[in-house]
Amino acid sequence: MTAVGAAVAPNPLAEGLHDYRVAEPALMVIFGATGDLSGRKLLPALYNLAKQRLLPAGFAVVGAAIDDLSDDAFRKRASEKISTFSRTQPVDPQVLQSFLDAVFYVKVDFNKLDDFKTLARKLDELDHARHVGGNRVFYCATPPPTYETITEQLKAAGLNAGEGYHRIVIEKPFGTDFKSARELNHIVQRVFHEDSVYRIDHYLGKETVQNIMAFRFANTIFEPVWNCHFIDSVQITAAEEIGVENRGAYYDKAGAMRDIVQNHALQLLALTAMEPPIAFEANAVRDEKVKVLRAIRPIADDEAAKATVRGQYASGWVLGEHVHGYREEPNVAAGTLTETFVALRLFIDNWRWAGVRFYIRAGKRMPKRVTEIRILFNRPPHLTFGRQAAQELDPNAITLRIQPEEGISLKFGAKVPAAGIRLRSVAMDFLYASSFLVEVPEAYERLLLDCMIGDPTLFTRADEVEAAWTLVDPIEAAWRDGRPPLQMYQAGGWGPAAAAKLLEADGREWHRP
Amino acid sequence: MAQAVNPPPMETLDWKGQGVTIAQVLDALTEFRHRFARAMVADDDHPHPRNCVMTLIAVAATEAEEKKAERESTAIAVHHPSLAIVVRDQADVKAGRIDAWIAAPEIADGSASPMHYELVKLHVHGAAATHLAALVDPLLVSGVPTYLWWLGTPPFGSNELRDALQIADAVVVDSARFTRPYHSFLALAGMSAHVHKRLGLADLQWARLDPWRETIAQFFAPVARRAYLSGINEIGIDYAGEGRGNRIPSSVLIGWIASALGWKLKRAAGGMGGVVSAQYEAERWRTVEVAFRSVPKAGLVEGEIGAVRIVGTSRGITFKVSIARAPERVRHASPDLGPLSFRSLHPTGGEDEAGMEIAQRRAIQHREMTFQNRDSLHHTATGDAPGDSVPPRPTVIARERRGADNSMVLLTLIDIGGADTLRHVQRIESTQDAALLVQVLALGAHDAVYGRSLASGAELMQAL
Repeated sequence: MTAVGAAVAPNPLAEGLHDYRVAEPALMVIFGATGDLSGRKLLPALYNLAKQRLLPAGFAVVGAAIDDLSDDAFRKRASEKISTFSRTQPVDPQVLQSFLDAVFYVKVDFNKLDDFKTLARKLDELDHARHVGGNRVFYCATPPPTYETITEQLKAAGLNAGEGYHRIVIEKPFGTDFKSARELNHIVQRVFHEDSVYRIDHYLGKETVQNIMAFRFANTIFEPVWNCHFIDSVQITAAEEIGVENRGAYYDKAGAMRDIVQNHALQLLALTAMEPPIAFEANAVRDEKVKVLRAIRPIADDEAAKATVRGQYASGWVLGEHVHGYREEPNVAAGTLTETFVALRLFIDNWRWAGVRFYIRAGKRMPKRVTEIRILFNRPPHLTFGRQAAQELDPNAITLRIQPEEGISLKFGAKVPAAGIRLRSVAMDFLYASSFLVEVPEAYERLLLDCMIGDPTLFTRADEVEAAWTLVDPIEAAWRDGRPPLQMYQAGGWGPAAAAKLLEADGREWHRP
Repeated sequence: MAQAVNPPPMETLDWKGQGVTIAQVLDALTEFRHRFARAMVADDDHPHPRNCVMTLIAVAATEAEEKKAERESTAIAVHHPSLAIVVRDQADVKAGRIDAWIAAPEIADGSASPMHYELVKLHVHGAAATHLAALVDPLLVSGVPTYLWWLGTPPFGSNELRDALQIADAVVVDSARFTRPYHSFLALAGMSAHVHKRLGLADLQWARLDPWRETIAQFFAPVARRAYLSGINEIGIDYAGEGRGNRIPSSVLIGWIASALGWKLKRAAGGMGGVVSAQYEAERWRTVEVAFRSVPKAGLVEGEIGAVRIVGTSRGITFKVSIARAPERVRHASPDLGPLSFRSLHPTGGEDEAGMEIAQRRAIQHREMTFQNRDSLHHTATGDAPGDSVPPRPTVIARERRGADNSMVLLTLIDIGGADTLRHVQRIESTQDAALLVQVLALGAHDAVYGRSLASGAELMQAL
């Protein structure tokens, strides 16, 4: 078991270097290296880190999977994937060649300890040749059921200990319910110290998600009004225009609640509602997020029928094209009751948020891809200008747009330039892409680098995962009892009618992004 | 009642006036902004929000500089909405007059909102050209930083420059393009020491050193190698071109390391072939030898660094990091280490090229600095008897000393202890001016590390 090392003096030569975040040399083992995640995301992200000169000399990737490949065959495959999926195009042949020179492959059957011992020998050999100092990152780009086998085999092969750091990265979903999540945590923690476990949710690597904290805690003008005295409600929307594509088999077991709400949406809620952490430091931030998740009022039994909506898309039109219904998607069970849309009304039972409604909606086959958080403020207590003048005036609102058109919009009232008094809402926009003189990095690049540097701030801690499942499990249980019943919605719409009614019952309506 | 508006299509807007006042330019600019707000907007829509991240004032002395300023500021505006004011400074023309052009080129950046970019060009003849603040202050966008980009050599020490700095949050220069680079560089260092703290100072030449700095810093990044910093014995730098003006980047790079590690310059001397030898005193009176030499290399423009080698010993382990740009160098077959005594003192490190070069340089340096003096170094170069002549100052010809595109590759070779050499190749992205400008402006052109590196580099230059 490895723990985080003691703090050391910073590198004096690193001072003042723009965006200098260089990890120590390490060997990154990607389990499932021939799979989709590795090819589409991880290898291109590592290539782009190399292109930005953020990978140190000595860094190497060791692909590990069941396929019987040579180093060269894996390099060829990696080269093709990087050329296809890199965010920066065209691919730079010199950077690519240099990166591929540090890519290796070991055939590993996760059930065979001997294969892990072979892997260990390869890592030792590379470690010596590349001055890596024993640093290892084990990335499980594999289905969750393999995590237990991989971690146990790493321990059996002695790959979880020794000189340098030993970190493991696992991808969401972290379990399918509270029980399985806790089991998974126990399994991983038997082999790796919690500080060395990096649960990756790529949403948290997005600059705009990190900017929620900057927006709230680096400014003095918002935090004083960020509470139940000024805020009426909060709407979190995570909409996708796509269907399940080739993920039907996985999605049909997960549904929108497990796929989006349990992780992405609740993380956005936590960042929006958390108390100011004492520092932008891993445990301080994650402590505050856990407090918020634990303060969410549980929804169970009959309450689920009133405070939740679940829907499934039927055929319809999206972006001008006719699309099939969910049940016609490949690898989806006939007559499935899996939800592709969720809407929730939540309350956070703490001093800051007493009585404020938090609405979450997440779904597939909606009109467009958009993720945003909309903070709706109370109306002024007195209509100084009269009802007539203010009839076109909406309440103040702040919209934090996570994707696309990342930015922040502040809506406020202004006098229409004409005779007499007439008020109208206007928007003050901040566009992330055009307001800074720097490029926005890709989420996986940020997170991979953070992991190598040893900064877990943007990774999910075990107790966060468990707190989120504590909220989700009773809702799932009520749904299994048919409370509320699954509702169909046309693909290309904003969910079933019940979602609109959920807010109408509170005298509110969904914001149309 | 809503007014019926037929929004004009978004297109390039142009205005020009000869013999105009700044008030007229401002009126035209205001009209532009009004038209932009309504462009492509339906009657009942909100006007386009105007977004502006900075005002960039570019001061150009020649037509070529003016075109360059126009080109680079437009390239930046593709991603960063801004106001660019290009001032063609023609103070030497007696008749006072201002000619102005305003353009708002349509820039498609793929987003739903049009990108807002305004380019104001001012040709200023006569005395008004020496009062830049009065000219452009009324045009500045409030609430965003104002950057002053001086394309040529700023008139250091002049009232004109002092006046211009009043309105700027930061000034950006390119010491690689200075005429009389040695003197201008020292003047820049002097200015850096005396400008107001609020004013940022950036040098594109410093930004070009980033890949070198990053690669050197990377070597020392692992915690286990942090102790190597206090074991550095030697640093060698190869640079292109001859003459003291071409040693500026090398000096600033050494200044960066020396100031970061707290080294003090003890002595320095320049010799033939662009050789520079210097000694620094590190912690606990340890001596660090520094040497530059001029090595012509294809693809490098004068002054650019071609290679950096750092050698040291820490806790009984020797280490050597050798970083070379465009690594296609021919291996030296037989290094000249001089007399036998120097050969034994400075082993070559076998067949390794960097080892041979370092041994060779050490031996030369040893000969010249330990047993001789600066005069004899001059004697070596000129054949004159010591004291017979003043060492000539090589002429640095003022001309375009930057290539159009300096894309490059860095090869790093790392030797630690007896292990095999570790090879690491990194690609350096384009160092075109627009990219460098964005890079320095992104930090607000405030860089304390640059300030101290500049001062330390200038100290070395002056000591030569």
